[in-house]
Amino acid sequence: MSEDANPLLDGLQLRRRPEPCAVVIFGASGDLTKRKLIPALYALAFRKLLPEEFAIVGVARSPHTSAQFAAAMKKAVKQFARDPFRQDVWDRLAAGMRYVGTEFDDEAGEDRVGRVLEELDAERGTGGNRLYYLAVPPQAFASAVTSIGERRDKEGWVRLIVEKPFGHDLATARELNDLLHRWFGEDEIFRIDHYLGKETVQNMLALRFANGIFEPIWNRQFIDHVQITVAESMGIEGRAGFYESAGAIRDIFQNHLLQLLALTAMEPPIDFTADSVRNEKVKVLKSMHTPGPKSVVRGQYGAGFVEGIEVPGYREEDGVSPGSLTETYIAAKLYVDNWRWADTPFYVRAGKRLARRETTIAIQFQRAPHPPFEAIAGDGLRPNVLLIHVQPDEGVSLAIGAKVPGAGMTIRTVHMDFLYGGAFRTGLPEAYERLILDALLGDATLFTREDEVEEQWKLVDAILGAWQRDRPSFPNYAAGTWGPAAADDLIHRDARSWRRH
Amino acid sequence: MGVVSDIERQLGRLRAREAVDGMPELRTSTMTHIVWCPPEWRARARATLAGLLERHPARTIFLIPCPGTEARIDARAELKDFQLQGVSREVLSEVIELRLRGSTARHPGSVVLPLLVSDLPVFCRWRGEPRWGSEELAEVVGITDRLVVDSSEWRHIPAAYTRLGELFGRVAVSDIAFSRTLPWRRRLAELWPGIGTVDKLRVEGPRADAELVAGWLRSRLRRDITLTRRNAAAVTAMWVDGEPVASPGELLNASELLSAELDQFGRDPVYEAAVRAVALPAG
Repeated sequence: MSEDANPLLDGLQLRRRPEPCAVVIFGASGDLTKRKLIPALYALAFRKLLPEEFAIVGVARSPHTSAQFAAAMKKAVKQFARDPFRQDVWDRLAAGMRYVGTEFDDEAGEDRVGRVLEELDAERGTGGNRLYYLAVPPQAFASAVTSIGERRDKEGWVRLIVEKPFGHDLATARELNDLLHRWFGEDEIFRIDHYLGKETVQNMLALRFANGIFEPIWNRQFIDHVQITVAESMGIEGRAGFYESAGAIRDIFQNHLLQLLALTAMEPPIDFTADSVRNEKVKVLKSMHTPGPKSVVRGQYGAGFVEGIEVPGYREEDGVSPGSLTETYIAAKLYVDNWRWADTPFYVRAGKRLARRETTIAIQFQRAPHPPFEAIAGDGLRPNVLLIHVQPDEGVSLAIGAKVPGAGMTIRTVHMDFLYGGAFRTGLPEAYERLILDALLGDATLFTREDEVEEQWKLVDAILGAWQRDRPSFPNYAAGTWGPAAADDLIHRDARSWRRH
Repeated sequence: MGVVSDIERQLGRLRAREAVDGMPELRTSTMTHIVWCPPEWRARARATLAGLLERHPARTIFLIPCPGTEARIDARAELKDFQLQGVSREVLSEVIELRLRGSTARHPGSVVLPLLVSDLPVFCRWRGEPRWGSEELAEVVGITDRLVVDSSEWRHIPAAYTRLGELFGRVAVSDIAFSRTLPWRRRLAELWPGIGTVDKLRVEGPRADAELVAGWLRSRLRRDITLTRRNAAAVTAMWVDGEPVASPGELLNASELLSAELDQFGRDPVYEAAVRAVALPAG
């Protein structure tokens, strides 16, 4: 028998494990590292999904020692990890944990990062493989990329996970892409949109392409319209600096909302490889035509009550200009101009300080053409809606008409629910776990490609261009409501309404 | 007569009681899970179920063959509810316990068949060693997609593996004793290609586990391999041609092992070959 045909491997359910490597987090003293990245790495270690030869290097401006950094991360794991704290798992992870305090444009500091990585290669056997996670503010992005690029070794692979915001508009996004491509190939760049790491978003692909009943009716003939909602009940949580220059359109619409739309509208990919899936998504983004000014509504919250607590308006938030014109809400009617979706509106909305936190995709089907009942029988009857709950209560509901028990024929809408956690109680992994693991494995399927980002910015730039021509009257909705009245008008004009909550 | 409708009535009453707060509970099943469970196994089977239902919501049907001459079935239904994290609603799973007295223990098929959840797979966890060739085994195999056994619960090994092998053409079979050895088999696979010429395997562990690992090596490597063994409650050590194999250090509990089996569909040719090689070592 030849050496490369090991007959003992059949049926051993071997998981694909990443190669030995070091994860280098730029911006390691930030909230993202503490709340998401280190807990995600702990969850992967907990499930033995990390290689034995593994290391983590935190890089940030704060002057900490490696021991202080490890102690802070241990506290973060205890506070934010989804798994119980286990000392043996933590010890394995912490043994390869280092910290380098430096400015990202400090040559000497960046050289120190390089030396620490070489030491880890020798001590931990990480083999020169590096996954850089750029959790840095936009102004630090270029220097971080340049210092990594200039120091990239010929041995081992290098991959970069790039956090949003990816640019401020199409021009800056292209500049960032050019900068990245000066040092790295597209297959080495992983632009993260954490929504794509959510199980329910991936379940959308399973729902559509693993079930024969949906795809035949997933088109303009059977679907009246689609509604996508990304609602947050919280405010800007101390991120005024970022939010004032971004607003809802750059924070949510440009990435999460358009990605959810692309997944909803895309054609079946020929397989589930990174390029096949992203090719289909980018076709959708290219097919979207620019909405006219009447098809986009922006809003900003004023003071109000959220879950019974009085909250200030956006302009009263710390760090926000009292005359700010930054939008905290956006709603739009979009069209995907292709054979499948022509004339089928996609109503999308996203906002802060809305009545509750909810991300849903609602597929509303056409009404039954000729219900053979008395008109009064169907008074409470609404069209069928397939509702995909992305968060919270992850799952799928189908609204159908059912007869009310008793004499006569009265029909009411009822929900058939599939609650994700009810059928598969394995505990849904955090999006960051899945995405970091995929990047370690070199699988870019759930990351955004250069051309997708640019198409998304083209649409956003066109909307922003129109906005520059008028001055909105803000605030125009109270915190704790479902947004401005103009958003209702947007959909009422088409004799439709936003989903009832 | 009337056992099935009696169970349906009991379940209906229980569901109505659960829904008194006006919040509809979700009744979720991913399978029908039959447990053939002689009385002496009942406590252990219930304990395993407690750790299992959260991962595999199912309608679980306990079939408890009881001694006695009167042909009678005593039925009891209950709902197990699970609070979902961050969700106000609960998920309900149904547990039905049927005590099969007298001749009914030989004909469980007719009472189980109408209780199966339509369109979902049927798994049967058979506790203890089956009565090979019996009517009850034939009936349960006839309605089951996958039969899950733990051959370490059997007394007649390796002979019983020959009888088990006779079922392979009729139902997919998996064996928790074999699953338990997975971490060790992964370790052995790492010894390739050196292990390709192994002659002797020594195992410290239960008989079934040791026999199955030896059978697995024989079938994969197509070699006759001599097994020696020292008894232990779990596999604690292995030697290949006298050389110790590094311990994998992984242990799964009973619920986790059964849970892993319930994720598998279809026949397992690697296991079937291992069983055949236990029953009939390669020459």
